[in-house]
Amino acid sequence: MKVLVANLEDVMREAAARWTLIAYFLLSSIFILIFASAINLDIVDGALAGAKLFGKEVEMNDTISIEKLVLGFESGFSAVLYFLCTFLAVFATAHLVPRMQEKGTIDLYLSRPVPRVKLILSRYVAGLILAGSNVFYLIGAIWLIVMWKTHVFHPRFFLAGAVIMFIIATLMAFAFLVGVITSSTAVSIMTTYGLFFFGLMLVGHDRIAAAVSKEWQATVINTLYWIVPKTAELGGAVVAFVSGGQAPERLAQQLTWSPFLSTAAFGVASLVLASWLFTRKEF
Amino acid sequence: MAPPVIEVSGLRKTYRGALRSSRITALDGIDFTVAAGEMFGLLGPNGAGKTTTVKILLDLTRPTGGEARVGGRPAGDPESRRRVGYLPEGHKIPGYLTARQTLSIFGRMSGMEKKDIERRGVELLEKLRIGKWIDIRVKKYSKGMTQRLGLACALIHSPNVLLLDEPTDGVDPVGRREIRDLLQEEAKNGTAVLLNSHLLSEIELTCDRVAVLRNGKVAAFGRVDELTRRAETYKLVASPIDDALLAAFRETGAGVERVNGHVILSVDGVAHLNALVDKLRAGGGLLSELAPVRSTLEDVFVDLVKAPSVEAPQ
Repeated sequence: MKVLVANLEDVMREAAARWTLIAYFLLSSIFILIFASAINLDIVDGALAGAKLFGKEVEMNDTISIEKLVLGFESGFSAVLYFLCTFLAVFATAHLVPRMQEKGTIDLYLSRPVPRVKLILSRYVAGLILAGSNVFYLIGAIWLIVMWKTHVFHPRFFLAGAVIMFIIATLMAFAFLVGVITSSTAVSIMTTYGLFFFGLMLVGHDRIAAAVSKEWQATVINTLYWIVPKTAELGGAVVAFVSGGQAPERLAQQLTWSPFLSTAAFGVASLVLASWLFTRKEF
Repeated sequence: MAPPVIEVSGLRKTYRGALRSSRITALDGIDFTVAAGEMFGLLGPNGAGKTTTVKILLDLTRPTGGEARVGGRPAGDPESRRRVGYLPEGHKIPGYLTARQTLSIFGRMSGMEKKDIERRGVELLEKLRIGKWIDIRVKKYSKGMTQRLGLACALIHSPNVLLLDEPTDGVDPVGRREIRDLLQEEAKNGTAVLLNSHLLSEIELTCDRVAVLRNGKVAAFGRVDELTRRAETYKLVASPIDDALLAAFRETGAGVERVNGHVILSVDGVAHLNALVDKLRAGGGLLSELAPVRSTLEDVFVDLVKAPSVEAPQ
């Protein structure tokens, strides 16, 4: 526990000193403030009678149920948060391993009576806590503002945070693996973002496999689909979880356990490989 | 002698190049021990294997052959580092931390409680004369101050083994003296200290025994006073010393060199020396000083490094 606390202190202090923490929360706060001030709702007898967006009246044809409005807004907004939070988290934590492995710094860490696996895993957990603090700040603040303006209590919105943290944990594990191998923050960021977008592309693996000319190419595409994190499916899952029973049919049908299981397997494999390589690395 | 706390036996380390075709032998079978309460110096030219040896002791790198043990445990066991303090050369304490925060992080990683870190940290920083800077960020420190803080990090958990790589690098002469005194105090309290340094004068003043590495082997090993003693060479101060007396000395086979009012004699043994003294006294001369001549450690070091081949230590 002491090792985790020490690493957490180190990670948080560095994030604060390098303005990462401040930028992280400042960007989130600006986002929240704009959201809070831009939207003004007139609610009459539990229904939306009128709305203003950035001070301009929004034309309403029928009286819309406020619950439906909140559900629709939060499920759509959770997709935006999925991308925003994931990108910010990767950017804010990709340096954790490369910086630790710098000459002159790694000696100070490894000379302590801490097994290397414990060192890297505690740093990983500290990074997750840093990322998680911003995710739940953002989601919590948006949820409170929506509840304040609409008086609708919709806790399913927090499920978005759980799925977002799941994908962050997976991508962070991959960033850690790249960091151990390359000791480069830039490469860690680029490859992790690359992996995210590759996962998005592979959602159409059936059509890509059908389009390629050779059998072995199709096999490669389909195999990669199963290995790489399911970033597209998990984005859909965020919307589906927040929407609950009101989710669009195409999303509800896709909501299965297999994207979670295969993505988790990728994350665990990345972290195990990162830990193993770190224990074998010579400095 | 106290039991060894650091034991190195037949230690070998070969680095391979990126293409695996090139090999560099950093260590080629070295042996030494360091006992509790002893100050031991590791010397050698650049690339001799000093830092590699220390890194193997800390499991920063693995040996190709041989064995290294710290506190009775293999160097690869994290528990062997429980009571080890390390000050690396060119250490990088993050500039955004204060001294208090630095000691808190590394003290916790050594298993210390917060209140103990606070108490011991204040005590150490005061001893190292940077107590007033405890809450200032390290990026504002001078090189010497950063070095002192690095030493505090190495000492925070009261280790019984200290591995120090250039501990006085960047420190002013007064500070060097203070650090030397601190290390000697630690040794008196039973801490084994292994020191890498290019400042041979510091090693000479500080260490009980030294090993000189050259091309990955131990070129010389032993107590500093034994290594620096020139065998069978004496300084003689007497009056009168005239050419006739010196000629008589030379006739016995002694090497004689007149230097600034005294004479340097190279003899075949104590009996030969006494025979020369008898000649001096028989001629009515008065002996005022007779002492063995010592080289400096630097002389020994340079002679060893420049020697054509490494001889096995006696």
